[in-house]
Amino acid sequence: MNSNREAKKSARSLFRACFTDGVLDPGRVRAVIGALAERRPRGCLAIFQQLSRLVRLELARRHVVIESATSLGESDLGDLRADIIRAHGNDLTFDVVIQPDLIGGLRVRVGSDVWDGSVRARIEKLPV
Amino acid sequence: MSTLVEEINAQIKGLQSSAAHTNTGTVREVGDGIARVEGLSNVMLNEMVEFPGGVFGLALNLEENEVGVVLLGAYGDIKEGDEAKTTGKLLSLPVGKALLGRVVNTLGHPIDGKGPIDSSTYYPLEKIAPGIIKRRPVTQPVQTGIMAIDAMIPIGRGQRELIIGDRATGKTTVAIDSIISQAKLNRQGEASGDSDFRPLYSIYVAIGQKNANVARVISTLEKEGAMPYTIVVSASASDDAASQYLAPFAGAAIGEWFMDNGMDALIVFDDLSKQAVAYRQISLLLKRPSGREAYPGDVFYLHSRLLERSARLSEEAGGGSLTALPIIETQSGDVSAYIPTNVISITDGQIYLEGDLFYQGIRPAINVGLSVSRVGSAAQVKAMKQVAGKIKGELAQFREMAAFAQFGSDLDDKTKGLLERGQRIVELFKQQQYQPYSVDMMVVMLYAMQQGYMDKIKVEKIKDFQSKMQEFFETRKAELLDKVRIKKAVKEELGIELKTALDEFTQFYK
Repeated sequence: MNSNREAKKSARSLFRACFTDGVLDPGRVRAVIGALAERRPRGCLAIFQQLSRLVRLELARRHVVIESATSLGESDLGDLRADIIRAHGNDLTFDVVIQPDLIGGLRVRVGSDVWDGSVRARIEKLPV
Repeated sequence: MSTLVEEINAQIKGLQSSAAHTNTGTVREVGDGIARVEGLSNVMLNEMVEFPGGVFGLALNLEENEVGVVLLGAYGDIKEGDEAKTTGKLLSLPVGKALLGRVVNTLGHPIDGKGPIDSSTYYPLEKIAPGIIKRRPVTQPVQTGIMAIDAMIPIGRGQRELIIGDRATGKTTVAIDSIISQAKLNRQGEASGDSDFRPLYSIYVAIGQKNANVARVISTLEKEGAMPYTIVVSASASDDAASQYLAPFAGAAIGEWFMDNGMDALIVFDDLSKQAVAYRQISLLLKRPSGREAYPGDVFYLHSRLLERSARLSEEAGGGSLTALPIIETQSGDVSAYIPTNVISITDGQIYLEGDLFYQGIRPAINVGLSVSRVGSAAQVKAMKQVAGKIKGELAQFREMAAFAQFGSDLDDKTKGLLERGQRIVELFKQQQYQPYSVDMMVVMLYAMQQGYMDKIKVEKIKDFQSKMQEFFETRKAELLDKVRIKKAVKEELGIELKTALDEFTQFYK
């Protein structure tokens, strides 16, 4: 229990060291991982697992998933990306997914925020 | 004109294309009624979180990278990777008069099979208690119909009076008797057409109890005709811990509606020990640090914020009130345990029920020495104060002397008299369950005791004397009882009338 807590603490401090100007720096992350692998401190595996989780959550926070019922044209997609970058900053990564379940419209997820303009969401909102 | 239509159409188009914004997260782990959700970056404390399948949870732990959500209802279908979303709403339930006569769960859903509840008003479960400015002192009585309580430990509207005792000592019975008494008074008040009459509605919150016990309570309330003035909130032993922890707050929200709308309500929390246990379970599963008896550090605040919601509001705030009768179960009479001491310190007094007295046949088994009402005497009817003023002292002296008298038989006349009187008072205060007395009847009985009419009656005949006296007054002196009820004080003239009636009765009593 204690070692797990210590691993969490160490991972958190290492994670904090991976930022440059408030943005996760992939170079620093790689350097930290390399140093950990080389020195293999006590509870190395737990630290790795915690660090991996923190990095995953941070990447997910800056990751955008655009779901669409049909494939979008390049220009529409470009406009959409530009709008999202304008609102949320330019350190975002993008994924575009074709999701026929949506029936029509778009569903955009930025981190944990979701903007759902799909037909499916509107149907679900209809009073029963 | 056409441009105007175009503008409206543009607005409609804008509305149609607007996307719903939600804050979502992903379930990382689920078990024991707790879901750990990653994401949910904008979730508020105590906000309702929606899971697939219409299951809701309550965000109780906001941590750096995840949120601890307590699940409400059937959560068997929730799995790792499911999406959870914030709702922007605090947990709330329907309130209002439509709930009277109904049995609901913690979320206000009916569980009595009598169809949906027609209420459009919703109250949040967690609400800040009324502040100092909105309150006023307790001055109106709650007639429990239990003579020992109304005479010696009076309860006022807006008071918080703890009912404490071991298992099977009659705690629930005291509470149910009070509810039945309120229903009787409400019916009388409505029948009298008195415009100043303020009915007292009752809310019974069953926490962690066996379903059979809850069913028995409901059937008793129905049998005694109390259900039309009562709401039952049930979170039984088979319900999840979150429901048991939240049930008292649900009851308090229902009661607050009556209070906020200028009405009076009485709420029974049966019992808060089980609520504390449910809260301990949730806290430990949420990995919150534990303290004494493994309860979390905020278990005092859990009860204090709940009981602070009972109040008597000022005229400007509507003049309503919420009286609380929390129940605490002790283990082997240990009132110094963690939860009992907490709740004793929060409430405005306690009714202590003792197992020994119960098994001696003294029921309600109220230990007069340990029971106290800190604010209720201000609310006591004057007539009751006049006739019961000395009784608590006499009874306390009797208990002391009774223990002392066991050592020898040579007692002086004064001590003998004290013991004789004490034995008769104990007998007088014995009362059958579900048979509350009216305040005027209690005044007459206590007046008879005070004036020595029972001194010549054998101790074992006191109950017989009492019941015949009750019958005599109810059938032949009903107008005198009405006078006592209306005048609310035993003045010289009324005293003479009472003495005449009592003389008349004692002449015929055999």
